[in-house]
Amino acid sequence: MVLLEAKCLEKIYTTRFGGNQVRALSNVSFSVEQGEYVAIMGESGSGKTTLLNILAALDKPTAGEVLLDSRSLSTVKEREISAFRRDNLGFVFQDFNLLDTFNLKDNIFLPLVLAGKSYKEMSRRLQPIAKKLGISELLEKYPYEVSGGQKQRAAVARALITNPKLVLADEPTGALDSRSTDDLLRIFHEVNQDGQTILMVTHSVKAASHAGRVLFIKDGEVFHQIYRGNNSNEQLYQKISDTLTLLATGGDRHE
Amino acid sequence: MNKGFFPKLAAGNIRRNGKAYIPYLISCIMTVALFYIMVSLSMNPGLADMVGDNTLKSMMSLGSVIIAVFAFIFLFYTNSFLVKRRRKEFGVFHVLGMEKRHLSKVMAWESLYVALIGLTGGLLVGIALDKVMFLVISNIIGAEISLGFFLSGTAVGITLLFFASVFFLIFLNCVRQIRTSNPIEMIRAGSAGEKEPKTKWLLAVLGLCSLGAGYYIALTVKSPLTSIFLFFLAVLLVIIGTYLLFTAGSIALLKLLRKNKRYYYKTRHFTSVSGMIYRMKQNAVGLANICVLSTAVLIMVSSTTSLMLGMEDTIRVRYPNDFVIYADEQSEARSEESFAQIRALQKEKHLHVTKETQYPYLSFGAFLNGDTFEPPQYASLGSIDRVQTLMFVSLEDYNRIMGTDKTLNEGEILLYSSRQPFQHPTLNVLGREYTVKETLEGFIGNGLLAAVAADSQCVVVRDQAEIDLLYGLQKKALGDSASERQYYYGFDTDAGEEEQRVFYREALDLYAQNKYQGTMESKADSRSAFIGLYGGFFFIGVFLGALFIMATVLIIYFKQISEGYDDKQRFEIMQKVGMSRQEVKSSIRSQVLTVFFLPLIVAGIHVTVALPLICRLLALMNLTNTGLYIACTGVCFLVFTVMYVLIYLLTARTYYRIVSR
Repeated sequence: MVLLEAKCLEKIYTTRFGGNQVRALSNVSFSVEQGEYVAIMGESGSGKTTLLNILAALDKPTAGEVLLDSRSLSTVKEREISAFRRDNLGFVFQDFNLLDTFNLKDNIFLPLVLAGKSYKEMSRRLQPIAKKLGISELLEKYPYEVSGGQKQRAAVARALITNPKLVLADEPTGALDSRSTDDLLRIFHEVNQDGQTILMVTHSVKAASHAGRVLFIKDGEVFHQIYRGNNSNEQLYQKISDTLTLLATGGDRHE
Repeated sequence: MNKGFFPKLAAGNIRRNGKAYIPYLISCIMTVALFYIMVSLSMNPGLADMVGDNTLKSMMSLGSVIIAVFAFIFLFYTNSFLVKRRRKEFGVFHVLGMEKRHLSKVMAWESLYVALIGLTGGLLVGIALDKVMFLVISNIIGAEISLGFFLSGTAVGITLLFFASVFFLIFLNCVRQIRTSNPIEMIRAGSAGEKEPKTKWLLAVLGLCSLGAGYYIALTVKSPLTSIFLFFLAVLLVIIGTYLLFTAGSIALLKLLRKNKRYYYKTRHFTSVSGMIYRMKQNAVGLANICVLSTAVLIMVSSTTSLMLGMEDTIRVRYPNDFVIYADEQSEARSEESFAQIRALQKEKHLHVTKETQYPYLSFGAFLNGDTFEPPQYASLGSIDRVQTLMFVSLEDYNRIMGTDKTLNEGEILLYSSRQPFQHPTLNVLGREYTVKETLEGFIGNGLLAAVAADSQCVVVRDQAEIDLLYGLQKKALGDSASERQYYYGFDTDAGEEEQRVFYREALDLYAQNKYQGTMESKADSRSAFIGLYGGFFFIGVFLGALFIMATVLIIYFKQISEGYDDKQRFEIMQKVGMSRQEVKSSIRSQVLTVFFLPLIVAGIHVTVALPLICRLLALMNLTNTGLYIACTGVCFLVFTVMYVLIYLLTARTYYRIVSR
């Protein structure tokens, strides 16, 4: 079943005085199946973040549309957009975006509190997630008291606790050391195994090599994609590296 | 490193940290200005011309001390946040090879610049404000007031000395903070965010007790004479209580709220409660300052306004007739003679007399013990709050003057109490026991009695013989210090004020020539003195009120603005996590509203509790019209609230612009 579908997305930024037009996305189409783990790769300035913002309903495309569960994002009313995001999407950011004024538990509860859930319900949901992410002991701590990896795990817990249809991750390993990166990627893998659909934007080959499918974006277009098939992480890593080399040296489109 | 390096770096630092430094500098300038004005006002030579100048002077000095304490706490506190914010910057300097003593040197230069700017700016603003306010307010009052603009060298000196030491202490504190931290901690500090404040239960409870004690004193104090001392004690306790409750109490309360899971995990409360914990940590002292200042403004302005408005009432009590002579002669014949001389003068000068009042009376001080008045020599010191003035007139005189026909049996009296009611059915004095037949609503006017701060009991006895008896007993008990019989002669006239004044001078001369003993008062002559005095009070009230409001406005404004920059980031994160713009806005609004209006509400409570105490103090100045004071307080509170709301709206607009940009 197709969960997310991007159709001919185009995004043009106009500078403030209407002078220059910058084409961030020119023609992006792809779809994500239920339960898939997709990585989107591309160099800086290739339009990755713009794409993610559009998928997250934070930004609107100039042309084309995004369907989530066959509902077009453009039909969601402005007033409902926050609630829609809260109920359907989970976010993991490069810089965690945890609030200093809450301990980890309350940070994780934030979307549920906004949705008006009872405390009992929230605790019930938190237990298994915290256990899986290995942060059960840290829940009473404040963000400034824990390490970056622990912060990111708390952020993942916050993204998962609403049982979203889709988790969107923006460079989730960008601010982590290699050990924390490994931990986080293992967690993403496990979560995906449990049936959670994940879409991750990254330029880390290592992060991408854990995904089930890797999309490459260049100059605002989907340039290439690699399916994992039966490849191991290492084999996929190699393939991604090769593709990136090819992209960098300006090779022609193939396959 | 060459010579100019540190000064230049320090100047650059201040410029680069402008966002944080400008509010701090403005706070410094305003605090210095406020302090200077208070000190210079307490040294204003015009004060000496005001009646009760000693009380006024000591009150102003107390005011200066309170402002000094404010200034110290406030500047220290504001600065500590500034330094905390800049720890990361210090860490980077450190890593780049500056030693701690170099950092201290930079801090020394920065402190010097701040001190220079704060002191010169503050003094200039202070002097300018002083001048402007004198002009504006004397224009508004329109009357000649005994205070004038005054540039005091001593005040400048005191201000310079005090703030130089405050800035020096602040500098030492900065150095301490730099010394005790290591560079890695400092580099991290910037991103670590604000630590959650600890709950200080002891301080919270202490604050509650202190506030409770202050309130208790304010509500229960009975006698006006003791209430001047108790007033200061209550003020001190309430200030301490307010500070402790705002700092420790608020956080304790918020944490209790957070423990209540049912309450806390609600969309509306979740972000507000946790946000408030941090907001209170940063703002508690500022808010307590605002609260205490607002209370001071409200009480000062409303009491001085009601004094001004109630002046005619007061004058009527103090001067029952247009002219009053209190003769203090040995014999009745001689006082009659003096009154006859005055009557002759009236005829000679063609002063038209509309009404005359004349009666003899006996008056002396005594200590109240139960239902017994004891002569002074039996009373111990420290029983000053029990001292009362007794005044005796005969029934015949009372009925004649008041136009009543009351009757009394042997041993019965009629009683009128000027301030505190007499609560016993019998009254004992000098071994005589009387039954109180009736308490009276009004009494024959007597200005000398009204001028005394002590309570007075006016007693109507059966006949003149009874008074003579009491006079004898009193003479025996007190010996040389006993009071003489007095004779009151008052008359009203429809002559103009100037004519009355001329007559007053002539009557005074006549009295002096014949060496009559007694006091002569003219309402017309005294009125101008009253206007000068009360105008002076009113002026000080309005002056300091306006000043405090200005300080309050600036403190609030810059606090909110500098907070806006911190909140911006949180605002963004919350939106990313799925809070709608509307939700974020309402959450922030509720927090800002609380921060803004909490001090005002607490100030309102303080003022309400202070009502009985202030009324008693005003009664000392013969303003017994409680309704007038309550009305004045109400109006002042309303005007203050309106101004406050305007400040809020202005601040909120700027704040949202920063946050949502």
